[in-house]
Amino acid sequence: MTVDLDQYAKPGKGYYLALGLEGSANKLGVGIIKHHLGQLSSTNRAEVLSNVRDTYITPPGEGFLPRDTARHHRNWVVRIIKKALVEGNVRGTDLDCICFTQGPGMGAPLQSVVIAARTLSQLWNLPLVGVNHCIGHIEMGREITGAHNPVVLYVSGGNTQVIAYSDQRYRIFGETLDIAIGNCLDRFARTLMIPNEPAPGYNIEQMAKKGKHLVSLPYTVKGMDLSMSGILANIDQIAKDLFGKAKQVKNKQLIDEETGEPITSEDLCFSLQEVLFSMLVEITERALAHVNSNQVLIVGGVGSNERLQEMMKLMIQDRKNGQIYATDERFCIDNGIMIAHAGLLSYRTGQTNDLWNTVCTQRFRTDEVFIKWRDD
Amino acid sequence: MTDHIIQQVQVHLPNIPLEVVSQGAEALVFQTSVHPYYSKPCLPHQDKFIIKFRPRKPYRHPKIDAAITKNRTIGEVKFMAKLTKLGIKAPSVILADFPNGIIWMEYLGKKLPNGDVSSLKNWLWYYEKVLADESLCLGSEVQQACINVGLLIGKLHLNDMIHGDLTSSNILLEDSEPVLIDFGLSSYSGMAEDKAVDLYVLERAMLSTHSKYSDHYVKWLLQGYEQIHGSKEFRSGGKKLVETLRKLDEVRLRGRKRSMLG
Repeated sequence: MTVDLDQYAKPGKGYYLALGLEGSANKLGVGIIKHHLGQLSSTNRAEVLSNVRDTYITPPGEGFLPRDTARHHRNWVVRIIKKALVEGNVRGTDLDCICFTQGPGMGAPLQSVVIAARTLSQLWNLPLVGVNHCIGHIEMGREITGAHNPVVLYVSGGNTQVIAYSDQRYRIFGETLDIAIGNCLDRFARTLMIPNEPAPGYNIEQMAKKGKHLVSLPYTVKGMDLSMSGILANIDQIAKDLFGKAKQVKNKQLIDEETGEPITSEDLCFSLQEVLFSMLVEITERALAHVNSNQVLIVGGVGSNERLQEMMKLMIQDRKNGQIYATDERFCIDNGIMIAHAGLLSYRTGQTNDLWNTVCTQRFRTDEVFIKWRDD
Repeated sequence: MTDHIIQQVQVHLPNIPLEVVSQGAEALVFQTSVHPYYSKPCLPHQDKFIIKFRPRKPYRHPKIDAAITKNRTIGEVKFMAKLTKLGIKAPSVILADFPNGIIWMEYLGKKLPNGDVSSLKNWLWYYEKVLADESLCLGSEVQQACINVGLLIGKLHLNDMIHGDLTSSNILLEDSEPVLIDFGLSSYSGMAEDKAVDLYVLERAMLSTHSKYSDHYVKWLLQGYEQIHGSKEFRSGGKKLVETLRKLDEVRLRGRKRSMLG
């Protein structure tokens, strides 16, 4: 990497500080990151000064609605920013830039957070940097794990993509044709009335650990893309037949063919995970073969699932010098620090947004972003 | 890393000499000198055969793995059998072991003067890189080969069959007579959209592997594709062609990927 990252350093200062604001879904995150001058490397790592997050949690059986999520973000954003500044021991005027999520995500929450970003920028007279949420995940994953040029599997509540870098863009090789994986898991959690605390996907994972019997479900990989809405409809119907509350119908019983034991809700969680994750690992393997790579980086909320990581490990063991990189929940799940990190990289190559250009967008593709800070 | 996969396949094929030809994400392709039940098979190559093997994927639940391997092997064999029935040139199936994911098939293709297999990709590369003569690269021989490939794909589509993974390495040349291989992603559809996407995938593949002359190649491919639609053999081919080409323009505009909600 030979891109000059220090043209925009403040004179006489040996480091940069950036504040990142993230609120594209139900998590409100604020983080402060510090880069020292020079290229980032294993000896010159980015420093996380603070990483604060608050999640809007709804009762079991309900999802988060844009309007209510936006209200949560508005109510908490000032408190969270203050907390992040205190934790990082940083004053607002020490910062180099304010970074915010410009998209993709839910409109109302994005907008309520960008207002906070604009206010801070004018208050402290700092430039604004708009960040693509997916790029945030990828760059933070690379920085934390030290993966150099991996194939990225980005799996979260709103996104499911297989991405590889080429020629200053993160290009999408495969993605979902309908709903995202996290969305699929969350919606199934609602069907079973699984609590949303701490996260529906986490609770499904815990239940799946107790599941033993595999229920047959559709398997829908199309080349490097996949489709999940049919699987959800299928398993939802099974769950309704088995555990539905309707009085006039007697619930069916489903028996495992081999053992003769009845199918439980734990078995359903187990089966859903097995099928969905097999599909994810398969498209990742296709992408690896396609670009001739042997490194995989898993990012996004669903990436913290241990079963997914285990399956990916099994796949990568069959490939020559295969390596897998994954982060823990602090960096997997949406956070402000990744926005600060990707935004600061952008800032160090001279990319900032004027105030008129800080409009958020619900649709913002990963491959629209020009990756100026890489040139390999 | 392929060693233990080879051990896996040798359990099902004891004492069969195997030589790895290529490895993809899903399957391994071997060459062998043994025919399973004929000593003198009625095939152009009597001592060369191909074995395609879908290994077990340890990450998948055994039940899911078994179902996928079986279904995909059956799908591919059926597709190849149907092609043979229609007289569209493709390797003929010799033997299939569905639960173990093994397809034994006819060897097709020649060796190029530089030793590579005569896939369209290698053949064009041979012209572009070894001979490196523009008048030959754009000569009548290459033109005719591309037109023939277009004719072949047109025939496939007119029978409502979709290859799903058209690239220049999945087309073999037997003396400028093209043959399709690798039907792992094939499907059946009469929709113009699916045919257009199939063509678009090929167009992109040509662009990325043969960037220098891809304009000409694609033009000739489409020329052949149009030609077959006009033949008397297929009814209402002209109408289908107009639909598919209109869709192709649409697909080109939107690319493969649409914008979507985060």
